Amino acid sequence: MWHFSHCRAARKAPTVVAVTKLLLAVHVLAAIIAIGPITVAASMFPAVMRRALADPPDPQAASWARLLHRICRVYAAVGVAVPVFGIATASSLGVLTDAWLLTSMALTAAAALLLILAVLPRQQALTEALAESTTPAGVTAAGSTTPAGAATRAGSAAPVETTAPAAPGAPLGRAIPRLAMFTGLFNLLWAIVTVLMIVRPGSTTGA
Amino acid sequence: MLRIAAAVEALSLLVLLTNLATVHLDGVASLTGPIHGCAYLFVIIAAFRLPGLSRAARLSSLVPGIGGLLVLRGSP
Repeated sequence: MWHFSHCRAARKAPTVVAVTKLLLAVHVLAAIIAIGPITVAASMFPAVMRRALADPPDPQAASWARLLHRICRVYAAVGVAVPVFGIATASSLGVLTDAWLLTSMALTAAAALLLILAVLPRQQALTEALAESTTPAGVTAAGSTTPAGAATRAGSAAPVETTAPAAPGAPLGRAIPRLAMFTGLFNLLWAIVTVLMIVRPGSTTGA
Repeated sequence: MLRIAAAVEALSLLVLLTNLATVHLDGVASLTGPIHGCAYLFVIIAAFRLPGLSRAARLSSLVPGIGGLLVLRGSP
């Protein structure tokens, strides 16, 4: 019995090494394919949103913003594969409790929470607000219809109407820098995690 | 999307359990495990994002192994 299990353990090793390499390959591939588009699309989003809200609004910017938000949302779901295969790789390598890895996992969790709780909802809110402010109005000239309607509901239609076109843009304009800040923070966290994965301070498993 | 994830979820669990009961190869287990985990999480995300699903259908996605199939059965 001892001999048998001994032989099995000796034979098992090459398969485990191959599986570890495969798991690592899937992990890195998933990270590049999923997180890459999110960082690019999320970084472009605030600038595109600014163009959509500019005084002569860029007519294409609204659909661009919708597309960028969709890329972020869909690839965030695909990105679930990254930590799953990362943990599998680490457990296969036996480095699951190394300090550099625990730090990376904490930073990844922070980045994921930032994306799910701050970046994606703000993107969605901005996209929806933009759709609401542009749908009833055709182009710039008709832009005063929406705020005028809102003002009538508030009870003071006439005096507001002259300054009306700036009204929908202003609160949205304040939300954009905040979204840009959260997006930058998300990208920074990911950059730190990537560097940690390469440098692996204190690791003994080789470069 | 949900259909594929549900199929992968159930199939990979079947592979895992078959492997556990028969040959018990480490390679199969450590490769199929993460695939199953991914499919499980995809099903939950899809079920909670998909519009027009009942609360019960969404919660049924949490059931391990067959959650995706339960959601598909509960969705119109």
